[in-house]
Amino acid sequence: MPELPAVADAGTEVDVALTVNGQPRRVRVEPRKTLADSLREDLRLTGTHVGCEHGVCGACTVLMDGEAVRSCLLFAVQVRGADITTVEGLAPDGAALSPVQRAFREHHGLQCGFCTPGFVISATAFLAAHPQPTDTEIREGLSGNLCRCTGYQGIVRAVRAAAAELAATEDASGRKGPA
Amino acid sequence: MKPAPFAYHAPRTVAEAVSVLADHGDEAKVLAGGQSLVPMLALRLARPAHLVDINGVAELAGGRLANGHLVVGATTRHAALERDAEIGTAVPLLRLAAPQIGHFQIRNRGTLGGSLAHADAAAELPAVTRALDAEISVRGPSGERTIQAAEFFKMVFTTALEPDELLTAVRFPVWGAGCGFAVEEIARRHGDFALAGAVCGVQVAAGRIERVALSMFGMGSVPERLDALEKSLTGAPVDGLDLADIGAQGVAALDPPADVHASSRYRKQVGAALIGRALSAAIESAAAEEASRA
Amino acid sequence: MTSDSILTPPSQLRGGVGAGRWIGQRLPRREDPRLITGRGRYIDDHQEAGTLHAAFVRSSVARGRIAALDTSAALAALGVVAVLTAADVNSPSHQFWHTVMGPGERTPGRVLADGDVRYVGEPVAVVVAESRYLAEDAAELVELEIDPLPPVVDVRAALRTEERVHPELDSNVAEALPEMEIPGFAERFAGAAHVISETFHQHRYVCVPMETRGIIATWDPWTQQLDIVLAAQGVHEPRLFYARMLGIPEDSIRVRQGDVGGSFGQKMFPMREEHAIVIAARVIGERPVKWIEDRIENLISGGHAREESLKIEVAVNNEGVLLAARAHHLENVGAYPTPGNGANGPTAAGMFPGPYRWGGPGSVAYTSQAIYTNTCGHCAYRGPWMMETVGREQMMDVVARKLGMDPLEIRRRNVISRDELPFTTPTTMVYETVSPAETLEQAAELIGYEQFRRDQEKARAEGRLLGIGLSLYVEPQFGFGSLGTEAATIRVEVTGKVTVYMSTGGHGQSIETTMAQIVADEMGVAISDIRIIQGDTQITPYGAGTAGSRTGAIAGGAAHAAAHAMREKVAAVAGRLLEVSPGDIEMASSVAMVKGDPDGPKVTLAEIAAAAYLNTDALGPDLEPGLEVSKRYKAPQFMFSNACHAVTVEVDRVTGQVRILRYVISEDCGNMINPMIVEGQIAGGIAQAIGGVFYEHMIYDSDGNPLTTTFMDYLLPTAAEIPDFEYGHVVTPSNTPGGYKGLGEGGAIASPPALLNAVSDALAPLGVTLTEQALSPDKILTLIDTAG
Repeated sequence: MPELPAVADAGTEVDVALTVNGQPRRVRVEPRKTLADSLREDLRLTGTHVGCEHGVCGACTVLMDGEAVRSCLLFAVQVRGADITTVEGLAPDGAALSPVQRAFREHHGLQCGFCTPGFVISATAFLAAHPQPTDTEIREGLSGNLCRCTGYQGIVRAVRAAAAELAATEDASGRKGPA
Repeated sequence: MKPAPFAYHAPRTVAEAVSVLADHGDEAKVLAGGQSLVPMLALRLARPAHLVDINGVAELAGGRLANGHLVVGATTRHAALERDAEIGTAVPLLRLAAPQIGHFQIRNRGTLGGSLAHADAAAELPAVTRALDAEISVRGPSGERTIQAAEFFKMVFTTALEPDELLTAVRFPVWGAGCGFAVEEIARRHGDFALAGAVCGVQVAAGRIERVALSMFGMGSVPERLDALEKSLTGAPVDGLDLADIGAQGVAALDPPADVHASSRYRKQVGAALIGRALSAAIESAAAEEASRA
Repeated sequence: MTSDSILTPPSQLRGGVGAGRWIGQRLPRREDPRLITGRGRYIDDHQEAGTLHAAFVRSSVARGRIAALDTSAALAALGVVAVLTAADVNSPSHQFWHTVMGPGERTPGRVLADGDVRYVGEPVAVVVAESRYLAEDAAELVELEIDPLPPVVDVRAALRTEERVHPELDSNVAEALPEMEIPGFAERFAGAAHVISETFHQHRYVCVPMETRGIIATWDPWTQQLDIVLAAQGVHEPRLFYARMLGIPEDSIRVRQGDVGGSFGQKMFPMREEHAIVIAARVIGERPVKWIEDRIENLISGGHAREESLKIEVAVNNEGVLLAARAHHLENVGAYPTPGNGANGPTAAGMFPGPYRWGGPGSVAYTSQAIYTNTCGHCAYRGPWMMETVGREQMMDVVARKLGMDPLEIRRRNVISRDELPFTTPTTMVYETVSPAETLEQAAELIGYEQFRRDQEKARAEGRLLGIGLSLYVEPQFGFGSLGTEAATIRVEVTGKVTVYMSTGGHGQSIETTMAQIVADEMGVAISDIRIIQGDTQITPYGAGTAGSRTGAIAGGAAHAAAHAMREKVAAVAGRLLEVSPGDIEMASSVAMVKGDPDGPKVTLAEIAAAAYLNTDALGPDLEPGLEVSKRYKAPQFMFSNACHAVTVEVDRVTGQVRILRYVISEDCGNMINPMIVEGQIAGGIAQAIGGVFYEHMIYDSDGNPLTTTFMDYLLPTAAEIPDFEYGHVVTPSNTPGGYKGLGEGGAIASPPALLNAVSDALAPLGVTLTEQALSPDKILTLIDTAG
């Protein structure tokens, strides 16, 4: 893992090497630049959205080493060597959608779409940890992401459906989804 | 909402971290999970000139059992408290409190040490340490010291930590057989900070409360230990407890804060009910534990 | 084009009655593929090289005189290009008016605060720098000293005090709907068996779209062109606004919007920050100047709503028949409402009778006052006039309880049914295609009203607090003046693809899907061949903005009209190619064939287009070449949809928390282009109502300081707080093309009183009278404790 200098002075930029959506990337950032801003500006991955900048709305959720985290509460300098997945990386071959993404479309889980990347990432992580969730578990699992358009109806339906599809996939192949 | 500029330090050892803190004193802030600190930086409510990221200090991670105690490293994530089988068996209150902290995304980053050092009076983990008389290990330039939970929390957001000290681990006693535990809280929404909450550990033997620990969060400027109530409950039969009365006793001397979410009176009212809920849930869990071993 | 040809009755639409191959289907959205893969293009995703970033310096005092304002340190800061204040930005030549309100607005307009401040958050200076980080650093260096003055925060105080929110004005009244002389009105009360009076209060809560406001403005000094990218609800009105404000020709301004992350009214009219950015761009020149509102700004200064009260007096007979009502509506519109004076009273006045008969003409009197205070100004918020329903529907339950009648029964005795149409309300609204009685019965049946009353009795015996609440309402769609039309230009491309340029400015309404459904059916075109384009003043036809629940009926009407006309053009060319009369041509999935001869000769739309554009010599002299059509549809001034909401709750008497057990909506929005989208719109509105009633409260202290300024304190409901909703549909087609009616705002209008009535019903045995929101658990416990 490439070493940062022990100290990165305020206002000076440092190189940070990390993996994003399976690709090795490098950004040059001052310490206070958030991961959310760096992904969006330095790597042009604008699918991750900024909705509150204080860690409540979840629009900025990404996967870091497989775990869902709020990228507005991380500094880019902190994630050297980490493996970040953004919404753009959920369907790596670009053509097919992941099961969660497909379910969001089929069940009208979005309207304006601004909260959607955060939800899709969170739901992906949630289902990986809770493959057979109850309705209550789904709603509680989604409570870290805010939506203002849908009233959560389609989102909850989408997660139920994705859970069912992923369970069926696992039964069929003996191997666990999601992508 | 962008933070003010800061110099970023990424020490690899506790000694390095303490050395940075010693150099910069109250110009430095420790960054652990960041779930409470980074919003304050974004709002520019906190503007440390130096941020000391301890996530890379391997010594601070992990937990181990030793001499009837569980020692948990400061950077242990809430998610680990929720999932780690050894931690959950040794100190069930950690396993019960953790899932109630925020949302899973927050728990993936938030840490035990961070929660205690931040000392939000509405947080679960400080109240758990108070209930269990946990010991907080701290390292400073002059060496290590241990602070009792009872002495650690001074005021809301204020602890006994000096600016040049780093919280390194928390030592929890492991209660034995025949014990039950509960954490009950009321929040406006799922995952919010509690308006009021109660932590209970109880040891039952021959139908009586042999030992009980009760603490509350959200009910004062620090977590509150209900010593007087514990005394009056010790030895009491578990059948026929007047939970409403017990709850009223428990909150009688408390003066909970008021804010936009709830008044002091409301907190006191539901706090009383939560004591009853936590006590009865802990007793039930003690019975279940007993039954499972029978 | 005559009006007859526009009014295609649903049965004559392609594909049969009401529904076509695409119309009426729950078609998954065409917007989704880019949005669920993170390839949407929202305002902050526009990242042109050389863009400058802005941050505002704002007042931290609700009212005061600016004693000092020194920008020199900020100007010298790293990366700063400009620091502008009122001296640089404000001009007496600026006009601040929106088409829909007209000129001559009472509220004094200014871009930046000048000499004094009038609400916490008022922008005083704008810093433009190389990054938002640097702009915020520099903003902290601006020295701003304010000598506080006593702020006017409460509307009643504002009416009594000599202190003026706007010293230029003679009072703190922004707008008033005065009492009107109605002959015989007093007698309706004097002669009534019962006169019941109550005042209902609603607290301040706000739009909170997940995407905050934003603008990018670029001034090209060479071409003298202003280019604006805006998070908006439509591009044409902002263009007109800035042409007026700056006194420059409309066609020197281009406004575009990309994907917009919700709005609910807040982005309908640009506000002072956007004005400052536009002027900053002109001052700086060449480089784009970008401002993305942060969440704190959005909560404090993005536009507020809903803080109002409605005093209602009702005359009713012994059978519970409503005879007359008088209502007074008092609104707190803050310091700088948008648009106009921010008053919703006049609109509410027209809608107040709702779905009930009342006592005929002259039986309802409605007055209102909109009051300035030193707080953030009003903006539109989903159904801005909704207090008329919030008050009226709660009053129905109050009257019912006073008369010892069930709230369902009293509604049954007063509600208008389809048999009575057309119905003229006491406020001269004419209902032609509404079905309030039918939705009431459907909702009552779906929720199992009678069974619930039995369950409730059992639960009460056990000490549990269960309640049921109803709300009936009529929702207007506005089609007057600038809101009266929408337009669609259809261009069949040379290769046979169909491009539809809409006048709309969608921000979550699924316009790319619904309009494509209409065009596909009306033209007989493969839906995958259709592209809907919105939001560019250089390309799309004028539209007043996507708002006011107008899209389904009015934009739908435009799509129908344009597609119908295009079908005829296509048929004419196809007929020439297949050597039959155009009337014998049938189109399906972009292929033209001869009616009744499915295996006969065919020609594709691509071939037709090639003929129309490229092989024009073969068309003949009487056939117009090309395939381009523009139609502007004029809607009736008012149209109405309606619904009934029914909800059951349980109140926890230990914690005061409310659990929603079931939530049922019976909705009539006429024919539904896409039922999935209809239900989604209803659901979003109801979630905002649940938020408003139980969780959201924009609180000011007595010094005019907002206290709920982050998402830690301003609480939006999450998936854990919102239950599943259940829908029933009644279909009463409108008299407009397709038979659609708008519905976007209804959920937010009708839901609060249903929820409040349910809680009232739950607490009724305890003697609680519920006339206030927000219903925090603390508030509910207090109500229970003080009533007992």
